[in-house]
Amino acid sequence: MDGSATFVELDRSVGPGCSEVSILDPNESSFYDFVSDEEVTERKQEEPCEDSEDSSDNPEDVDAVSEDERVVRSLRERDKLVFILSEAGKPIYCRHGSEEKLVSLFGLMQALVFCVQDDDDQIKSITAGAYRIAFLNKGPLIFVAVSRRGETPGQLALHLGYAQSLIVSVLTAAQLKKIFEQRRNYDLRKLLGGADRLMDNLLDGLEQDPAYLLGAVSCLALNPSVRDSISDAIVRHCAKLKNLVFAILLADSQLVTLVRMKKYMLHPADLHLLINLVASSESFKLSESWTPICLPRFDANGFLHAHVSYLADDCQACLLLLTVDKDQFFVLSEAKQGIVQRLRRYKCLEAINRAMKNGGYTMQDVNIPEIRHFLYKARPTAQYTAPLFSAPYDDSYEKDRLLALYHRMHQRMLLPGSQRHLKLVYVVGKYECLLCWVTAFFELYAAIEPLVEKEAVIPRVEKLLNWIKSEESRLFILTSTTF
Amino acid sequence: MELINPTSVFNADIFSSVLVMSQVDVKVVLLGSSGCGKTSLVERFLHDRFEERYMPTIGAAFGAKRVKALGKILKLGIWDTAGQERYKAMSRIYYRGAKAAIVCYDLTDADSFREAQFWAQELLKQEDACKIYLCGTKADLTRGPEGGRNRRVDFYAPTDFTDDVNAGKRRKPHDSEELFQAIADDFISNPVNEPIVQELPSIHVGKDQPRPSGTWSSVCCSY
Repeated sequence: MDGSATFVELDRSVGPGCSEVSILDPNESSFYDFVSDEEVTERKQEEPCEDSEDSSDNPEDVDAVSEDERVVRSLRERDKLVFILSEAGKPIYCRHGSEEKLVSLFGLMQALVFCVQDDDDQIKSITAGAYRIAFLNKGPLIFVAVSRRGETPGQLALHLGYAQSLIVSVLTAAQLKKIFEQRRNYDLRKLLGGADRLMDNLLDGLEQDPAYLLGAVSCLALNPSVRDSISDAIVRHCAKLKNLVFAILLADSQLVTLVRMKKYMLHPADLHLLINLVASSESFKLSESWTPICLPRFDANGFLHAHVSYLADDCQACLLLLTVDKDQFFVLSEAKQGIVQRLRRYKCLEAINRAMKNGGYTMQDVNIPEIRHFLYKARPTAQYTAPLFSAPYDDSYEKDRLLALYHRMHQRMLLPGSQRHLKLVYVVGKYECLLCWVTAFFELYAAIEPLVEKEAVIPRVEKLLNWIKSEESRLFILTSTTF
Repeated sequence: MELINPTSVFNADIFSSVLVMSQVDVKVVLLGSSGCGKTSLVERFLHDRFEERYMPTIGAAFGAKRVKALGKILKLGIWDTAGQERYKAMSRIYYRGAKAAIVCYDLTDADSFREAQFWAQELLKQEDACKIYLCGTKADLTRGPEGGRNRRVDFYAPTDFTDDVNAGKRRKPHDSEELFQAIADDFISNPVNEPIVQELPSIHVGKDQPRPSGTWSSVCCSY
């Protein structure tokens, strides 16, 4: 699907452009070579020592351009990068680097977007050797991902969409629009101060957490009766509160329970942003917090106000109470105290602690030796379950490899935007076989021992589905609770 | 300054501050640029702990503590706000109805003092009943033989500023405990707060010695 040639994919729906245009010299090996032509022939391994020579021997030579080049060279060692810039070309964010030193690179990205836009078209991705470069131009911002990890343009677009949502969640779409209407070359970094932690964490999660890939959340495994009494405690103390929209209890980035106002749903992508916020903000552990947050799928133009607190010193589950009323802090604070008291009385805190300490289940618990690992998403509820990564996927290289396989298979099964949905795919690989099965109710991706006969696979997978069915009430939240 | 502004704009605020009063007796807000040490100051006061890592506050964090002041017990409800620029637009949610504001600046960062001046002006405009405490932080970094070089906010800058806005007195609390104690004492001794103070539980019988207090206090502290 990709050779050494470099080509650009354009969005046909936008304008009359062609879908594949070769605008770059096919001999060029990577995106970064645009910046410094003379370095095309350099080997990557030589770069670091050359850098140090540069800086120590003749520091006077280090002008702005060579500084840029040095940063670009250090970026080349990364498998994946994400850049955010304004339409005016102002740097906003760079994963794994200082955006300040990349002004010319940002200028190039801006130029690429606009030179295609001049033809009433939109640039979506560029393939350059092993690299794939995806673009998303949304609102006043441009998002660019550069990767050699083998993601498809669709997956990179998903990642960039999340990056965009994160910025909206911090500022709201309306504020973002207004800022750039007033001053086209505004330096947005001023307003995003501190949000880079959220962005770093989100971008890491997009690669490592199957939740984003599946568009689903995983739930803390709990006995249904315990989960019910937790939900019940929340309903008891919150049902009378006007304007409270969502009450969410998280433990280790897993959902314990979600209670919502009857007429509103929480989109998994919004929930991912909340989980990311809690996971990347340690300051919530210090005290009760009260913060505005925008959930882009819920309302991209307005803020909700979140009361965020950990349940107790002896129970590190995080409760989020989201309301539209900015004056409700003390009311929610009181509700939280009531919830905690009730949870303590009914021994729910211990149950949560136990479940957190267990940390999940392994394939040994499932006891189907031929299956090494799996992802199972319950489609109607957008929840998923997966065992812990155990051998041979317990080292990070193998784990990454498996996740990349899942990514690739997911892309093959559910091509976004296309009508073609595959139902069942079985792939025999060198190290494992993969079975992917998509129905109206579930998506299953299972990694299977490579030496298992094809005929034996389906019975094993059926056994797995039976096991999931039997554990369903612990692994998933089956009933949705409302105020 | 003692009079409550009767214009309609403020009516809502008076109402909300009454609501707040039913929960905590004295609302104290911390404002200032990000990373200047607001959370550290509060953490030291509330829990007597110090966290080495920098963990930026999201939105605002709330904490409360009872203090004894001039024979009365009152509860300080402390709002520790995030210093990031993006919260500025909605900072009013956090500071309105506050009886005291600790406006922090980092003694080793000149920009943070400019920002502190912004906050002080903002509070003067918006919150008549709020007493403002300018607080220079990280004083420990400016001490010692090397320390002088770290100092970026001139010793006279805060006093010049308070002179400009026509108020001010300098105090030197040595730790966050003393700073919050000073706030509590000022609150009790301020005649405006008399109706509230009368209802506070007393810890001993006897007439408290009222202490003189200006509208402004300038304090420096390290923790």
